[in-house]
Amino acid sequence: MPWYLYLAFKQLFPSGRWMTFFTCISTLGVFLGVWMLIIIIGVMSGFGFKYGRMIIDTGGEIQVRGAFIENPERIQEIINKVPGVVASTPTAEGIVMIEHQGRPGYPGIIGVAPESVEKVIPISKYLREGSMADLDDDAVVLSAGLAASISTRVGSKVTVVSPLTLERLSQDAYMMPTELTVAGVYEFGHQQLDKSVAIVTLRRMQDLYGLGEGAYGVNVRIAPDADVDAIAGEINASLPPGSRMRARTWMQSGEAFLFALKIERLMIILIVSMVVFVVAFLVTAMLLVAVAHKTREIGLYGALGASPWQSAMCFCFQGVIVGVIGTALGVSIGLLTLANIDPIARLIARLTGNWELLVEVYEFTKVPAHITGADIAIICAFAIGMSTLAGLVAAWRAAKLKPVEAMRSE
Amino acid sequence: MSNTAQPILTARALRKTYRSGNRELEVFHDVDFHINAGESVSIRGESGSGKSTLLNLLAALDTAGAGTLSWDGFSKIDNAARGKFLGIIFQAFYLIPELNALENILMARRIAGNVDAAARARAAELLARVGLRDRGHHLPSQLSGGERQRVAVARALMNSPRVVLADEPTGNLDEKTADSVMDLLLGICAETNTALVLVTHNPLYAQRTAREYFLHEGTLRSVR
Ligand SMILES: Nc1ncnc2c1ncn2[C@@H]1O[C@H](COP(=O)(O)OP(=O)(O)O)[C@@H](O)[C@H]1O
Ligand SMILES: [Mg+2]
Repeated sequence: MPWYLYLAFKQLFPSGRWMTFFTCISTLGVFLGVWMLIIIIGVMSGFGFKYGRMIIDTGGEIQVRGAFIENPERIQEIINKVPGVVASTPTAEGIVMIEHQGRPGYPGIIGVAPESVEKVIPISKYLREGSMADLDDDAVVLSAGLAASISTRVGSKVTVVSPLTLERLSQDAYMMPTELTVAGVYEFGHQQLDKSVAIVTLRRMQDLYGLGEGAYGVNVRIAPDADVDAIAGEINASLPPGSRMRARTWMQSGEAFLFALKIERLMIILIVSMVVFVVAFLVTAMLLVAVAHKTREIGLYGALGASPWQSAMCFCFQGVIVGVIGTALGVSIGLLTLANIDPIARLIARLTGNWELLVEVYEFTKVPAHITGADIAIICAFAIGMSTLAGLVAAWRAAKLKPVEAMRSE
Repeated sequence: MSNTAQPILTARALRKTYRSGNRELEVFHDVDFHINAGESVSIRGESGSGKSTLLNLLAALDTAGAGTLSWDGFSKIDNAARGKFLGIIFQAFYLIPELNALENILMARRIAGNVDAAARARAAELLARVGLRDRGHHLPSQLSGGERQRVAVARALMNSPRVVLADEPTGNLDEKTADSVMDLLLGICAETNTALVLVTHNPLYAQRTAREYFLHEGTLRSVR
């Protein structure tokens, strides 16, 4: 080990002592900055990532919408032929009135094709009770929020009334309300999707809404790592000419929210980066004080045979070491925090009484976290780069000192 | 011995001026100085006469306005050469506060080259020689002034230099401590056949060296 690296370590961690006050404060500064960056980037990306997964899990990567589809099988056939498409499933959405033992609800209703839905939308993954295998034309799967508000369990019988009933009434016809058995209860962990939704078979939905054999849309699952934009383009190109159907990617569907999230993330990163700048100033100032304090000692290095740039390196490395240790601490504690972000956020929210607000704004009942290796690499490079710069400023001061003048200084 | 001995450090016609603003202050001029291998030499002079300035020039820590300097065995005088050729002792000790006594002694070797087992053994040996065998793990702040200067003496000798330059090494010490440090310095240099340039204004210490110089009003005279 070169002497200046050895001495840099020793000045930060002197013999017989744990560390100096300077080491403690400046490492803590770098640590706090990096820690904050990791958490903020992790949580902000987490919302985006989780939101994206949510859209994909509940609607596939591509959704074909825009016109009533009289013959969904034919459209599915066309879509399934596009390379990269793994599966597709027809769907129809609407609103109904649901009732159980005198408790009414007005949920959104989704008709799904039992034979293909799981290949696109893995509802089973989110089932809290029951089984998708039991979803037949006389069954319904409820969202957790809805099941709670009309107090049903698996096996309960619910009554469903569709808008078509009212239409028939106005035509002096009477349509019997439909009685369905609850086959399952799901929870996606997304507030809006869990609040009030009922899932029935497409055939039941067609009856309730008088859709004949038709559907309102087709959801598409593509191969992992396939180019979603390219495939959406190809689907659009192969759809019957003149139809008003359009394929939209999940990113286009969630565009507004994802964009807002991106901007928000950028702003916060900017602010926290400034914190790291301030920390770098702190490290610079403390190292400059150290250089001033050690002026005569730096003269001594020269007397012992050191060249000015070697003496400078000693101070530069102090910045580097503080940066590396602070960053390593910040990254490891940051990742640890992210791994436990939900209980921590709940605790903080409980202490400040903000949990409802958090759920309201981001619509997640769990705080998600997601950070990529590239994010971590950028944070590390930034923090270590800034502290190295701090070291270089101090080193430059040290290098300018002439040994004799240094030794004469008071 | 002094007749056959070769000078190992020679300075000829040294001149030093300090410039402050547009005024020039000449500290000395036409200074000739030499020291032979293993010889001890003292330089005396009043405070402000330029003793430290001269020592800095001999150590090539500062540049002269005129004159030549040669170190035996070194065609190029630079920082690295200084670490091998010279050991320097200062009035103010200049130990590195974050390092313990043993590490301070080893620092001379670290800067000049590599620390290996032999170097560690030598540092421990020197520490014992300066009477601090059991104080190796003490920081400078845990040592008295005399003890600190003993560590500095050991550090100056760490790289087996040809010449030790000592600038008023006992100036910060009380009389009794100063005597014992001076005994040690003169003794250890004699034992190891290391040449010693001793700057002092104590005539008693000067008398104990083989030759004496006197710096007065800008000229260096050999007085003994
Ligand atoms: N950097 C400097 N600039 C201007 N004058 C200096 C400087 N260093 C030393 N001097 C002057 O040079 C003279 C000799 O100083 P010094 O060598 O320290 O004397 P000594 O060691 O004999 O007491 C003094 O008058 C001092 O004021
Ligand atoms: Mg002096």
